[in-house]
Amino acid sequence: MSMKLTRLISVCCAALALTACEDPEPKLKGAPPDMRRLTETQYENVISDVFGIDVDVAGRFDPLRRTSGLVAVGAREARITPTGFERFYNAAKTVSERVTDAEHRATLIPCTPADAAKADDACARAFMTQTGRLLFRRPLTTAEADYFVKAAGEAAGANGDFYRGLTTSLASMLVTPQFLFVADTTEADPADKSAERLDAYARASRLSFFLWNTTPDETLMAAAEKGELNDSASLARHVDRMMASPRAEVGMRAFFNDFLALEDFDTLEKDPLIYPTFTLEVAENAREQIVKTIIDHVSRGEDYRDIFTTRKTFLTRALARVYRVPIDRTDNGWISYEFAADQNRYGIQSQIALMALYAYPGRSSAVRRGRAVRELLMCQKVPDPPGDVDFSLFTDPNSPSKTARERLTAHINAPACAGCHKITDPIGLSFENFDGAGQYRLTENEAHIDSGGDLNGAPYTGPEGLAQALRNDPATASCVVNRLYSYAVGRSVEQDDTAVVNFLDKGFAASKYKFVELMRKVALSDAFFTVSKPNTTAAASGEMAVATAH
Amino acid sequence: MRVRSQVLSFASAVVLAAPCFAAETGIVHDRRMGFVVKDWFTAVYETKFMDECPEGVSIANDEVWWRRLSRADKDEQTGNGMIQALNRVGVSFLRGRNGEHVCLEPDSVDDPPQRIVEGKLSFGVNLDGDADGKASAKSCAHENFTHPDGTTGIDNQMYRLVGCTYGWRKDVGTVDMNANEMRNTSGLGLILIDVSEVDNPRNDDDVTVTFYRSVDQWVQDSKGAPLPFQTFNIDVVDGKPRYGDSIKGAIKDGVLTTKNGDVRLPWYGNYVFMHPVIRDLTLRLDIDPSGERATGMVAGYYDVEAFTYYIGSLGAVVPVNGINCSSLIKAARELADGYPDPKTGKCTALSSAFDLLAYAAYIRLPAAAATKTAER
Amino acid sequence: MTVLLTKVRERRSVLKGVLGGSAVTVALPFLDGDLNVNGTALAATGAALPVRFGTFYWGMGHTPGHAITEKSETSKGIGFLAETEALKPFEDDLNFFGAYAMPLDGRSNYTHYTGWVASRTGTAPAHNNDIPAPTFDLLIADAIAGNSRFFTLNANAVGMPRANYSARSTASRAAAEISAAALYQRLFGPEFVDPNNSEFKPDPRVMVQKSVLSGAIEQSRDYIKTLGAADKSRLDEYFTSVRQVENQLALQLQKPPPNDACLVPPAVTEKPMEEVKRIARDMDEVIETHGVMAKLFAMAVACNQTKVFNMAFTDDFANVRRVGETYTHHLLTHEEPLDQKLGYQPLTFWFNKCGSDGFAAFLKEFKSIREGDGTLLDNCLIHAGSETNYARVHTIDGVPFWLAGKAGGRMKTGYHVVGGADPVTRIGLTAMTAMGVPVESWGTKSLKTTKPITEVLNDRATPPPVKTESQG
Repeated sequence: MSMKLTRLISVCCAALALTACEDPEPKLKGAPPDMRRLTETQYENVISDVFGIDVDVAGRFDPLRRTSGLVAVGAREARITPTGFERFYNAAKTVSERVTDAEHRATLIPCTPADAAKADDACARAFMTQTGRLLFRRPLTTAEADYFVKAAGEAAGANGDFYRGLTTSLASMLVTPQFLFVADTTEADPADKSAERLDAYARASRLSFFLWNTTPDETLMAAAEKGELNDSASLARHVDRMMASPRAEVGMRAFFNDFLALEDFDTLEKDPLIYPTFTLEVAENAREQIVKTIIDHVSRGEDYRDIFTTRKTFLTRALARVYRVPIDRTDNGWISYEFAADQNRYGIQSQIALMALYAYPGRSSAVRRGRAVRELLMCQKVPDPPGDVDFSLFTDPNSPSKTARERLTAHINAPACAGCHKITDPIGLSFENFDGAGQYRLTENEAHIDSGGDLNGAPYTGPEGLAQALRNDPATASCVVNRLYSYAVGRSVEQDDTAVVNFLDKGFAASKYKFVELMRKVALSDAFFTVSKPNTTAAASGEMAVATAH
Repeated sequence: MRVRSQVLSFASAVVLAAPCFAAETGIVHDRRMGFVVKDWFTAVYETKFMDECPEGVSIANDEVWWRRLSRADKDEQTGNGMIQALNRVGVSFLRGRNGEHVCLEPDSVDDPPQRIVEGKLSFGVNLDGDADGKASAKSCAHENFTHPDGTTGIDNQMYRLVGCTYGWRKDVGTVDMNANEMRNTSGLGLILIDVSEVDNPRNDDDVTVTFYRSVDQWVQDSKGAPLPFQTFNIDVVDGKPRYGDSIKGAIKDGVLTTKNGDVRLPWYGNYVFMHPVIRDLTLRLDIDPSGERATGMVAGYYDVEAFTYYIGSLGAVVPVNGINCSSLIKAARELADGYPDPKTGKCTALSSAFDLLAYAAYIRLPAAAATKTAER
Repeated sequence: MTVLLTKVRERRSVLKGVLGGSAVTVALPFLDGDLNVNGTALAATGAALPVRFGTFYWGMGHTPGHAITEKSETSKGIGFLAETEALKPFEDDLNFFGAYAMPLDGRSNYTHYTGWVASRTGTAPAHNNDIPAPTFDLLIADAIAGNSRFFTLNANAVGMPRANYSARSTASRAAAEISAAALYQRLFGPEFVDPNNSEFKPDPRVMVQKSVLSGAIEQSRDYIKTLGAADKSRLDEYFTSVRQVENQLALQLQKPPPNDACLVPPAVTEKPMEEVKRIARDMDEVIETHGVMAKLFAMAVACNQTKVFNMAFTDDFANVRRVGETYTHHLLTHEEPLDQKLGYQPLTFWFNKCGSDGFAAFLKEFKSIREGDGTLLDNCLIHAGSETNYARVHTIDGVPFWLAGKAGGRMKTGYHVVGGADPVTRIGLTAMTAMGVPVESWGTKSLKTTKPITEVLNDRATPPPVKTESQG
């Protein structure tokens, strides 16, 4: 296709409905069906959505390993250790006790037993099947329903209490793999007898965890039951409904928390002697600020790439103190705010969150920041430093070096270091006007800070120059496409996916980089639902393990 | 943009001037920088062996009372020694001729005179402009001090008055310490110092300094110091600042010095809310290059009536600080050296000086706030 | 009888399935008489008292030249120097292993990561997030932990759930306990059955709880059949893990035999969560938290709540500060200048010494509990080590390791063992051998070894009686 024609088509795309002249979505093989362990946030969301009960499980479950840039991908690999199972069981007991306690049973249990001191199978069945459908994200099988009713009955008998029966039965339901793992259950594809496709409930779960980061709601479950999610027109209707829901923000937040690795805030510490202003409240607010800024930006339909240049954000009193701006608010709430040009806060990358995360407890770090930009925002891999570097060579107390730039010149000049530091330091050094807590400064050790930088050979000046350079680098836009797709399908992007990612990339550009459009497009893509045939080797080990469990 | 413009619309100072260089570090916004006062200590010059107080520290009210009791009265007042000293405090206040409270009715007893400072050195400034301490239209005859740095003509009758009272002695007295602590932990009545028309925070020959009271509390670090650059709203009545007297000043190499002007000061401490007028108030603030902190001094003529009211309201602070209200208040009237009453010719104010520690703050003003300059 | 057949098959499948990831060769032959009822543990130890295994971890290694006197060959006498002086009273309980090598076969030395992963899994990690095989404490647990209430106990004193140096794979790493109060609740809360309580009545509700749970898990078999095979191997581990809770419930239903060594410790006061989770805390706080946790660990072991335990004093990036100092221990190792007169980095030395002091404090808790004719420590084997030798330049050859305790008489102690160029895996293999894990070889590539360190092992066939120790 000639350049001219391409341009003509893109003009056409801008003018007409996008689908009219868009390339068709490339086909892919897909990955075999798999299963993802619920994240801590998903667990909390599901319990909150199903029962209206808040549980705090943060830091309690086996940690998921960030894999290929996302925790969501790590969830696909996650295993459950003995300690991990114990924690799940303890959480399950807490939840089930609260669901069936005197305060909640009236609203959460759809019936009243004939005698609260005895088993009541009919009422137990009503509760267990209704709850089970929500927790397993599909109707219970007859055998499952029978079991949980029988279990509730036995436990009611032993306790002399109908509700204790439900507590015990529900607790066991909450630790089954059916609940803890979101599985890709499949069925034969009617269009291609040799292929498998996700069944309707797996499609509902995939949509719901992607767009809302929680379990499907009643409407979506009903749509799955009616087979509507296999039909592209009604699928679009459901996706649009989901994206219009307030829960879509929950979903986007979950993605950006994962994308920006904000869980690192859980282990962030600043030296109170050096940064007394960096209080716990500042840390919590800074984490929220960056997400709020992005969500606001993309919700307004702005060009995604402008998150790297925007001066619009939100502030609390605590943040205003660190940003050193007066604030028009007397309580601890948020105001929207736009930094003045001379305040040098361009884009999310210059906010306190990333500046403080990618620094040391008591000082800034050009290397960490440069690496974070490369790895988080541009999806580029920076190798780890070699093990045998004697860093104290660069930190000689008698050295006349006052600024980070002077100190890091040593890295760039050492041949073993130069390769990597040339790709991190020029970016990181342009952040040097922000100290380890993200506060703006003009000097370090009384020496003027030179915040010039360089992105892939193009020099720029200071935070504003970096903002423009990041915005205009194609890597930042394609990075978010890559990560969103990977997040949606819950696995790393492989060779097989390249064509689809390129297709989404083009669509993102054609939509003028509207993130919400991108999300919608992913949810509507065939690739999002495509699975290959299950891998059938080593099938025996699973059954064997079941045998060993008893 | 929406909210920022809202902030601007609240600002009283001129907004559209070119941004000054320090805007980048956030010290100055809209040509204004502000401070919130943390510590306010009466400036007391002390020597190692207390040479300035040859008679020793002043005798407390309850001590005077106790000494005057007969043995039989002591028995009766203490239940034969069963009631300990601290529990006698309340009783000892009510020792006026007719049982009056001596802190509220200082003339109801005849006590020995207040032990006052007899040293020659003091902190403070020359308020009356002369070096001889002679009476003038604005002052009554008084003895001048010499500053430890050699400057003569220092007027500080407040020091002369309280300098030998335990409660104002450095590190041991708790009159000012308590007041500061109470203000700082409650966040009530914080004093705000607004510096406007700032073009350069280190050197500017024409700025305006205005005093306000905060209605906001503050966030402190682990050592109790307020975190710098918090935003404070001011006390407003009918859309206008409740306080807001201004003086002109200048900044040289980071040191702000004002001219003199009368300032009604918001004040809270030791459970006392008041608003003393300090006449001819002059401020010096040494601003740290970081812009986060400043230390300095306020000097001026402190109203004797306000001082009397304050002492009368101190309650339990009195005995633990070795104060004898009656002697102290009577001495204050005697030592007053400023602003003679046109009818009686007796002076109504004490020359005084106070040490300040303040932290950078953003002060948010209502749109209608008009600056009234008290400069003279 | 089919039941018996199932059991033999189970044992094999567990060993294959669970140990499969690590390059373990199973020793032959295996007699059915060695199996306990669960088919997972060796029952015949010849001693009434169980032998337990633990690990102790601290970040940043020792200060070379100031921790242990260098030796040219293995001999009795450890040679404590200034940094390890706190360990001196334990000389007769310890072996020190110096100068072992960690060959990586061309793989990178991922700083502060490769060292602990390679020495604990026997394989060099492929990236700085990789746990290529189970850590050897879990191989030991698979052999001995069988039906303990807690399969393993993991805790650290630095407030980081991730700082657990025990993992089955990259994706299977349990969160460590970071709160001493939560640890107490888990161990000695309402579900603890005191062996010395004469009153015991099994609670029928617990019985039902256990059967309902087991039934529900049984139920999910049908579900598994509908899934792809890739999922099933992960579910293997899930089903094994369920046993942790099943055992806990089962133990609540049994009256444990009276146990003189078990004295329920006083409750631990809860701290605010932000304090528990605080990173880069002061060393004082680490020492305090570790002290409480060490007591709980020792008593949990004495009360037979667990047979395998892992304590991290500090983490692999040593996110710990000294009061009033800005830099963390890790940053100091890189940035603190060498004191020309002393010949080392003085602050870093101070932190390293805290690691040795911490280990001594840990051992003291085990040694202070009398068990049988000796102490609890005599019936334990505790492996201690770090991830680097000289943290300043991240050297991993000669990383210091210790084995403490006589393992019920299976270990000789008091030796300074010189490794020469032998792979570090010999230490792990020695520990596994002493703990009765049926392994002939351990590790991969150049880290593979078939030779336990016989100099410190007593003949397994005739374990000598446990020597009576005077109270330490």
